[in-house]
Amino acid sequence: MSDLNKSIGQAINRIDGLLKVTGAATYATDYVLKNTVHAVIFKSTIAAGKIKDIETGEAEKAPGVLAVITHKNAPKLNEKGGVRGGALLQSQNIEWYGQHIGLVVAETFEQARYATRLIKVSYEKAEPKVDFEKHKKEAIAPKDNHDAIRGDVDTAFGNAEFKIEAVYETPIEHHNPMETHSTIAFWEGDKVTLYNGSQIVNGAQGAAASTLGIPSANVRIVTPFIGGGFGSKGGQWANLVLAAVAAKAVNRPVKLALTRQQMFNSVGLRQRNHQRMRLAATKDGKLTVLAHETTTHCAIDNEFVEPCGDCSKVMYEVPNSLISYRVVPMNIIIPTYTRGPGKSTGSFALESAIDELAYQLRMDPIEFRLKNEPAKDPSNGKQWSSRTTVQCLQEGAKAFGWGKRKIEPRQNQQGEYLIGYGVACGTYPARQQNSSAIVKLTRKGNDVKATIELAASDLGTGTNTIIAQTASDALGLAVNKITVKIGDSSLPPAAGSVGSVGAASFSNAVNDACEKITDELMKKSTKQFFVRPTVANLMVSENLTAFETRADAKAPADATNYSSHSFNANFAEVWVNSLTGMVKVKRFLAVTGAGKILNPKTARSQIIGGNVWGIGMALTEESILDPRWGNFVTRSLADYHVPSNLDIGTIDTIFIDEKDTIPNKLGVKGIGEVGIVGVAAAVANAIFNATGKRVRDLPITPDKLL
Amino acid sequence: MMTEDTPDQELTEDEKQLFGQLLCEDQNQLTDFDEARRNFLKQITLAGGGILALQMFGKETFAGSLHEPLNAELPVNLENSVNVSFKVNGIKKSLDVDSRMTLLDTLRERLQLTGSKKGCDHGQCGACTVIVDGKRVLSCLTLAASCTNKSVTTIEGLAKNGELHPMQASFLKHDGFQCGYCTPGQICSAVALMGEARNGEVSYVTPNVRIKAAPIQLSEEEIRERMSGNICRCGAYPNIVDAIKEVHSAKPVAQNWNLVDQKELTEI
Amino acid sequence: MRPFKYSASTTINSAAQLLSANPNARILAGGTNILDLMKEDVERPDELVDINRLNLSVVKPITEGVNKGGISIGGLGKNAETANHPLIRQNFPLLTQAILAGASAQIRNMATNGGNLNQRTRCPYFYEVSMPCNKREPGTGCGAREGINRMHAIFGWSESCVAVHPSDMCVALAALDAVVKVQGSSGKVRSIPFAEYHRLPGEMPEKDNTLQHGEVVTSIEIPKNNFASKSYYLKVRDRASYAFALVSVAAAIEMNGSGIKQAWLALGGVAHKPWRAFEAERFLAGKAATADNFRQAAEMEMKQAKALEHNGFKIELGTRAIVLALTRAMNGGTA
Repeated sequence: MSDLNKSIGQAINRIDGLLKVTGAATYATDYVLKNTVHAVIFKSTIAAGKIKDIETGEAEKAPGVLAVITHKNAPKLNEKGGVRGGALLQSQNIEWYGQHIGLVVAETFEQARYATRLIKVSYEKAEPKVDFEKHKKEAIAPKDNHDAIRGDVDTAFGNAEFKIEAVYETPIEHHNPMETHSTIAFWEGDKVTLYNGSQIVNGAQGAAASTLGIPSANVRIVTPFIGGGFGSKGGQWANLVLAAVAAKAVNRPVKLALTRQQMFNSVGLRQRNHQRMRLAATKDGKLTVLAHETTTHCAIDNEFVEPCGDCSKVMYEVPNSLISYRVVPMNIIIPTYTRGPGKSTGSFALESAIDELAYQLRMDPIEFRLKNEPAKDPSNGKQWSSRTTVQCLQEGAKAFGWGKRKIEPRQNQQGEYLIGYGVACGTYPARQQNSSAIVKLTRKGNDVKATIELAASDLGTGTNTIIAQTASDALGLAVNKITVKIGDSSLPPAAGSVGSVGAASFSNAVNDACEKITDELMKKSTKQFFVRPTVANLMVSENLTAFETRADAKAPADATNYSSHSFNANFAEVWVNSLTGMVKVKRFLAVTGAGKILNPKTARSQIIGGNVWGIGMALTEESILDPRWGNFVTRSLADYHVPSNLDIGTIDTIFIDEKDTIPNKLGVKGIGEVGIVGVAAAVANAIFNATGKRVRDLPITPDKLL
Repeated sequence: MMTEDTPDQELTEDEKQLFGQLLCEDQNQLTDFDEARRNFLKQITLAGGGILALQMFGKETFAGSLHEPLNAELPVNLENSVNVSFKVNGIKKSLDVDSRMTLLDTLRERLQLTGSKKGCDHGQCGACTVIVDGKRVLSCLTLAASCTNKSVTTIEGLAKNGELHPMQASFLKHDGFQCGYCTPGQICSAVALMGEARNGEVSYVTPNVRIKAAPIQLSEEEIRERMSGNICRCGAYPNIVDAIKEVHSAKPVAQNWNLVDQKELTEI
Repeated sequence: MRPFKYSASTTINSAAQLLSANPNARILAGGTNILDLMKEDVERPDELVDINRLNLSVVKPITEGVNKGGISIGGLGKNAETANHPLIRQNFPLLTQAILAGASAQIRNMATNGGNLNQRTRCPYFYEVSMPCNKREPGTGCGAREGINRMHAIFGWSESCVAVHPSDMCVALAALDAVVKVQGSSGKVRSIPFAEYHRLPGEMPEKDNTLQHGEVVTSIEIPKNNFASKSYYLKVRDRASYAFALVSVAAAIEMNGSGIKQAWLALGGVAHKPWRAFEAERFLAGKAATADNFRQAAEMEMKQAKALEHNGFKIELGTRAIVLALTRAMNGGTA
């Protein structure tokens, strides 16, 4: 193969970057369709009970209004069709504050928004369950999560000489992608097209079709660009379907964008977790007990539990272990997957507790972790396909200057600042999911080009770019000869950009399709090949102007015989103002072993993004409910503090270059999720090292350090 | 293992290689940083390959042929209609708007300039940042009615004669975005910031605001503070700072992605 | 946002007349707060009087009257221009720092000085129209009093309202003994000492300040002082930038030999108005500029504070912030 065939692993710029820096990238509401009208949703102002009546007359008479849709006149929809969280205007029932109860469609956005203010709703209020503190004792075992028990935790813990028992609290958080959930819907006959940011293109198609009660083939999801999702655009929410309902009602294209305030009770959230940890160790630092008991909340009639215990299952060798979940249904919107689901919040508890126990032993926390490194996956006894925790810790310690850290806190002060170092590890499973891809070759003279098609998505992860790089290598064509078409449900079905499966699933499917097309062209040819030819050679030699094929890729059959994960080690240097309690993470280092890195530039960005999320989790992000009414008082980006630019210091990333082809042929493990795992704990541990103060409830705002 | 800034570095090895793929031209040309970049971008635009096709895919396959573009005038009667005449990206516009219509919605819904983004609609995220009469402002909190005789520059107006504004090129090089939704606002904000630095304007993190100097050299901390009105949920901040630093200092800023192979590890 | 008539004025008189003629009319200046509140349906004017074309944005030395030797800033001057004006940076760096501690660069380019004074509270119960709020809708109760009140007042609150004034700029103006000049339809100019411009909520939280309907803030006068080299604005917040204050402090010290001749202290994020710390100022006059004295002064001031359920931390934080702001002021106004 020629030298060109080394695109994978190169730090090329995003192929869609030019569109993004010029404003030409088209997100859902950027499509200009003739005769588009605007829908604005209105919401319940109680958390539990029933709608007695909705008066819509005044709104209907307002200028420009075309329709007001409520439970009284909404079409019958299938509430079990796969839309998360209900709120499809099918009944009077109210289950959380801010549930959708109707929408106005008008000629202009200004007219629709105004008309929602003219709606009058009367309620039959019930006592809402919104105070987690009050209701957590009613928590019960969830249907889907069984307690995982090994050994005898209680006895071993009782007898242990060195032990930690503590509760770690993480608050409700919101995804808050910069693009609110937005849709343009238009019907052509009985077919509907939905421009909508969807992390799982086929998932959105299926959910919309099933909820609307029409065949999947009649729903087309178009989502070439997504303004962030972080899990909130993984599942589909009522707004997607309600846009279609509104477009049908007025027989015109409808644009429906949730407001930022509406985002807080429309598209899920990361739930509050109360995590009780019990850890014990021998004097020489061997873990003997690890119990991780999570209590959390879910929707009144729908369960979702973040797997906070996942890291605790696999990170350390320990004979006595308990992982459990208890959940209390409440009048709060159903929680959903949020970046690093379970692992990010769970690792805060686990890795803080590990740090606490290491300190109790007066042992370096890296040394303590190395002593408890498991040879096999402790949760199922499977071999690791590869595990890089040790390398991550050792390489990170060297690069970060960990040797300068003192075990005792408050040893490093500069002026009014206390400086501390912290470390914490993380992990996230690596999987390849079924995906199909079509490769189409065209030729003009000697110029051969390829188009790759699959219903993948790119929410900023770099999917477009890594697909082009993969195809470039597999076809022997330069990247600029490759066109990537994704983000459309009419393309071959593919996995979603969720749970760190995207890169592995897409790149392997594309690689398979490209290898297959080369094989097919070689079969067509009567020539003998001593070196595997490029598709360009073959197209020319066979005098073909167009050729295409499709591959349906699956994970290797024996992948599940192994335990495959990405691993990381996070290092934080914090400066805590000893007077005001304000914390700055001056320096952060993430060392990641995530298999083959397809594009170091975009991969680094992904890790940095996860780190920023983790720093936000540690220091600034919190959604606060009024326990009387169930409304979020932090319902705007002024009140919900996503980190600002000034909150972030220097971030460095190191990748351990692994060659692990057990989970998939290309050896891709995924990085979107692991980047946040362990970050909050690294920051909290650094704050302890700086101040001697152990904060176990996030976020660590200035008041907690006074 | 942490790589250090190499100020004399013009292009990364990765970039040179990419140029090799994309340019098919004499690599000796690639000596001057800016020129190389501009050539590079021109070539991308002209290549007819992945990127342009993607653009076609986004803009035309779906919306173009099927639905004719909207006229600037709306087919409905507006209450409290206000006529506004102003310049957008150098072109005179005159239209009647609902008095309630923001500059942001006017750009997006009436002038088909959808680059400016609505992230919060309440002045809390910066995604809608545009430049009005040379100053960066929030188009979501600006009434179109109040824009008469003003000159508005949006992300669509920054590239000139087929060449990217240096800030756009630098964001591209430094991967100063992920999802790209906040990017138009970030770039408009950063472009205006360069003017503020030239004028010697100070910020909350400026050590002594009584000292006058123009232009001023922005430290990383200064860039961070001055860009804090643009929220990026993907967390691209370090790359955004690098992108701005490169334009501000007119010196290449190193890009560090550190790959440690197994051999190196065994030497620890 | 309710439908409204847009009117643009070119003179103060015509603006004042338009406003006086319609009790439901509001001023449009920078728009950063009024449009935000109109979208939330908190403000419901049926007319906006755009005053941006009025010639009220000049920064100039005051050549006559009681504030002679001081500087006057126009009511319509943009926050960013005011902060960066050479006269302000040189003579009132405290004001520069305070303005630049607030909001974001974009908002400071839009927001006006008068508008900064008249901005409304960011209390979430005020902002969400389905919640009770005496400020927005008198008689409905205070949602925050028994609710989530971490960001709320510790000084001067009433059972009707525990909201805080959100401005940073105003905290500095309070410490600087500024005077607000306003003009109504009669053409008469009123001078309001800064301490009397904003109100405590009492039984009338719907009234934020003493500006009357129909009046426009024409300028703000800042008297000459001798502490430009010893002042500092400290802002403590949950996020490093672009966040409202938990507590902020404007501090300035004029020395007399080795002792403090006089100190000026005002606090933000703690009351319905910028809170002038007169107790602490009185204590510091004539004392040595030591950490001990700063601490004692701060504690004396904070004795009057009364915490709500979630904001008790503001008392200790405020004490520390006063000490730190005074320390930095003594160090020449740098961090």
